[in-house]
Amino acid sequence: MLSIIVFLPLVGAVLVLLAGGRGDRPDREPLVRNLALAVSLATFAATLWLWARFDPSSGDYQFVEQHAWIPAFGIQYFIGVDGISLFLIVLTGFLTPLALLSSWESVHKSVRNFSFFMLALETAMLGVFVSIDLFLFYVFWDAMLIPMYFLIGVWGYDRRVYAAVKFILYTMAGSVLMLIAIIGLAWSYAATTGAPSFSLIDLYNVELTRQTERWMFLAFAVAFAIKVPLFPFHTWLPDAHVEAPTAGSVILAGVLLKMGTYGFLRFAFPLFPAAALEFAPWLGLLAVIGIIYGALVAMVQPDMKKLVAYSSVSHLGFVVLGLAATNMQGIQGSVYQMLNHGVSTGGLFMIVGMLSDRRHTRLISEYGGLKAVMPRLVAAFLIITLASIALPMTNGFIGEFLILLGAFKWHSTMAAFAATGVILSAVYMLWMFQRVNYGPVTNEKNSRLPDLTPREWAQMVPIVAMCIFMGVFPKVFTDPMEASITKVIDRVHSREAAVVEKTAPGFRLPASGSPNLASADTARPGASPGPQAPSELRTPSPEPRAADND
Amino acid sequence: MTDYAAIIPLSIIALSAIAAMVAEAIRRPGERMPIGGFGLIGCGGAALASVFLWDSDAQSFGVIRADNFSLFINIILCTVGILTMLFSNETIEREDIPGGEYYALTLFALCGMMMMAAATDLLVIFVALEILSLSVYVLTGIRRASAGGAEAAFKYFLLGAFSSAFFLYGIAFAFALSGSTRLEQISVALSSQPGGAPPTLAWLAVGMLAIGFCFKISAVPFHMWTPDAYEGAPTIVTAFMSTGVKAAAFGAFVRVFLSTLEPLQAQWIPLLSGIAGITMILGTVVGVVQTNVKRMLAYSSIAHAGYLMLGIISANNTGKAAVLFYLLTYAVSNLGALGIVALLGSAQNQHDELRDFAGLSKSRPGLAALMTVFLLSLGGFPPLAGFIGKWYIFAAAVQEGHYALAIIGVLTSVISVFFYLRIVVMMYMTEGAEAVRPRLPGTAVAGLTLATIAVLYLGVLPTRVLDLALASISTIF
Repeated sequence: MLSIIVFLPLVGAVLVLLAGGRGDRPDREPLVRNLALAVSLATFAATLWLWARFDPSSGDYQFVEQHAWIPAFGIQYFIGVDGISLFLIVLTGFLTPLALLSSWESVHKSVRNFSFFMLALETAMLGVFVSIDLFLFYVFWDAMLIPMYFLIGVWGYDRRVYAAVKFILYTMAGSVLMLIAIIGLAWSYAATTGAPSFSLIDLYNVELTRQTERWMFLAFAVAFAIKVPLFPFHTWLPDAHVEAPTAGSVILAGVLLKMGTYGFLRFAFPLFPAAALEFAPWLGLLAVIGIIYGALVAMVQPDMKKLVAYSSVSHLGFVVLGLAATNMQGIQGSVYQMLNHGVSTGGLFMIVGMLSDRRHTRLISEYGGLKAVMPRLVAAFLIITLASIALPMTNGFIGEFLILLGAFKWHSTMAAFAATGVILSAVYMLWMFQRVNYGPVTNEKNSRLPDLTPREWAQMVPIVAMCIFMGVFPKVFTDPMEASITKVIDRVHSREAAVVEKTAPGFRLPASGSPNLASADTARPGASPGPQAPSELRTPSPEPRAADND
Repeated sequence: MTDYAAIIPLSIIALSAIAAMVAEAIRRPGERMPIGGFGLIGCGGAALASVFLWDSDAQSFGVIRADNFSLFINIILCTVGILTMLFSNETIEREDIPGGEYYALTLFALCGMMMMAAATDLLVIFVALEILSLSVYVLTGIRRASAGGAEAAFKYFLLGAFSSAFFLYGIAFAFALSGSTRLEQISVALSSQPGGAPPTLAWLAVGMLAIGFCFKISAVPFHMWTPDAYEGAPTIVTAFMSTGVKAAAFGAFVRVFLSTLEPLQAQWIPLLSGIAGITMILGTVVGVVQTNVKRMLAYSSIAHAGYLMLGIISANNTGKAAVLFYLLTYAVSNLGALGIVALLGSAQNQHDELRDFAGLSKSRPGLAALMTVFLLSLGGFPPLAGFIGKWYIFAAAVQEGHYALAIIGVLTSVISVFFYLRIVVMMYMTEGAEAVRPRLPGTAVAGLTLATIAVLYLGVLPTRVLDLALASISTIF
């Protein structure tokens, strides 16, 4: 079933190509659009079904499918969903139809190819989130670049080619090093067991020397840091976001960036726990720099889209900070914030798209006084803006609060600096909002802009509803995550117990003496003598259900 | 005992070449004759014969060995041959190339290639090398009216002859070391010498042979002929020689270095590592600044030679199988890409400059899409053949701890993506000046379909072929 969800958009993409007819006939445009939207809605429905059937009490992989793919190298088609990936999958399903809607009026060049790439991209994104086999993960991770490249390069704004090439080269440069580390990991596994494996569950058991572990962690970390993007690897992001078409920006900000943070949480931290803890302060430091730097740069942007793009750097800094804290609140907040950022920044990009569809400019100075002209659009704009700056009762508040809570427990100085980011975000967002929407209508061109069309209502209502719903009922989302997050934390810190003795005190974190506070009752594997303690020994089992007994 | 079984695939190709020659001789001037059909039949027959010979490990005259390794290479070469024949028709008619000569030379070259990969005697390898080289020199210059073609052929010939001399000299030193030119006997002699082989002689033998091979696979610094020859030759010949010659030369390279000269690993691994590193870097970095698509793909083929060398340097079973698999993926991807370049040309304009591709997605959306697939495969994007090939090579290198080379490899492949994407940028993101609407004959459609299926099949379901590649190296080494 999970495979069907993952590949449904791809099937839709092929159907779209066929429906477009020879030579991409313009008269088929409505058919193509509706077909693509229908496929993406069906996928969204299927992801909701997944959520409904998900067992929140278990931290294991569910809906597991496991087949041999390249047996000679222990590569499997091995997919499953746990509490961490579940909501990212739902988010992907949620944003894709909205992104397609946002391109309804603005994309007219070769709609068939556009819809094809959007749907192909969705399959790749879902694939990244469900893969348990590292090789499979890498295949989806890299395959995703191609549709995004075309979306930016063909349907983007003026400097689109530059932005598209920069995007693909940057991301690839990071990920190929990860490929080498993945291969190295598989061979290390083969050194102890005789046969290589790329399954995440098998690779948890690899014994690495401290030095190797550091290098491999760094290789993974660079790949993910570029994707996040963590300061100073963020320079591709403003270009890509600004030049991409609205639908591309929504997906880029909403889902693609999350792959970086998801990668840290799913792969880099649990696979290399000792190195992760060793480098966590550095990650945290870069995250805090990113929070403040992103906010400051966002403040001075004259272009709304660029402002939102830099705000992503700042927001994603929070996510990484929460991960670096490696405690329950921090990670839960991070995962929650990934979803929030997807919803609210996706929404902001859509609003910028609506404005620039009407006026063909994104400069803040071109606007002013929109509140009087289109009150409904501005109302939606306001709610999403408030969600983005984390006002209580909106989704952003829950995420950032949890992250700061977790970060404070771990490293209070960093948390204090990060908290200034919350204030800064209020400054740049509200200032922008004020300049665009309040005051008198200074520009004659703005005086008779149409308000929300029915199609735009359909985009805004779900976003606004989610901003508030996630702010009021966070437990709906946090509860199913908890078991899986506990597992990750246990993994990271149980390995730590084994390396404490071997590590010089200088390497230790100042405040990590009391890790894992929230999940203290879930009991770290007692007096685990080392990474190969019997309770940790898992052998790959032919029975798929047993294999996820991680 | 003389057994003819092992030379059946070669003989089929040679017979079809002769048939092509005879057909050309009896053809009345102006009469059209589907001479390419002989080539297709020959390649198909040779492929079939190779399949039947699988696991037989037949030997002929003690110097040609049809083990699974050479049979795998035969099948790669037959794929190369079939795709080349399918794409050739259009070029031959357009450029007014004498069809019989063209097909006969192509088939003789293929025959030489198969022989080179199957030979187990250094002198036979040399003879095979000469058969294929002479045919390819002539093919390079087959457009007699073209000054560029003549220049390319002459350059290729001069430098090629030079490298053959090196290779022959290497054979002489190997003979001096071991008293034989048979591969097994050299191997036995080398490993039985107490205290190892005399270092100077060993260095000379290994070095000279390596130069000969490096020239044929166009590794740096023996790559100088490649861009000129690839640019000057008719595009379809470029496609043929960039894939076929490489497959044959790597076949012999693997056989000689990884079985016979294995005792001298201490000498040649550092040597080849250096060459491979420079080859990958120079191939990609210089490729970036090219504005001619054929030159660009020439430099890309240099870089691919560097990746392939990683498989040899790894010197393990993974590496050997990876070389075989990579050769196949490279062959189908590169033939597909160059096949499309060949189709786009016209008699007046080769249509091989980067800017000629502008707006292709408008005028020929299908060709542009397929070109993108082939280029992305060359760049190593999943889920296409090239990705699995590269992954396999790097897996072999990492297995032996060659991290530095593997990292050079992956980083240069990122750079190479930049220039492959330049073509994509032209096709999809730049407005074209004039709409190019080439004729698309049925044979070319068949060829493109075949190549596309191969690229997708090897990328998505590589297991069967990977297992075959692994099985084919286990029988010999």
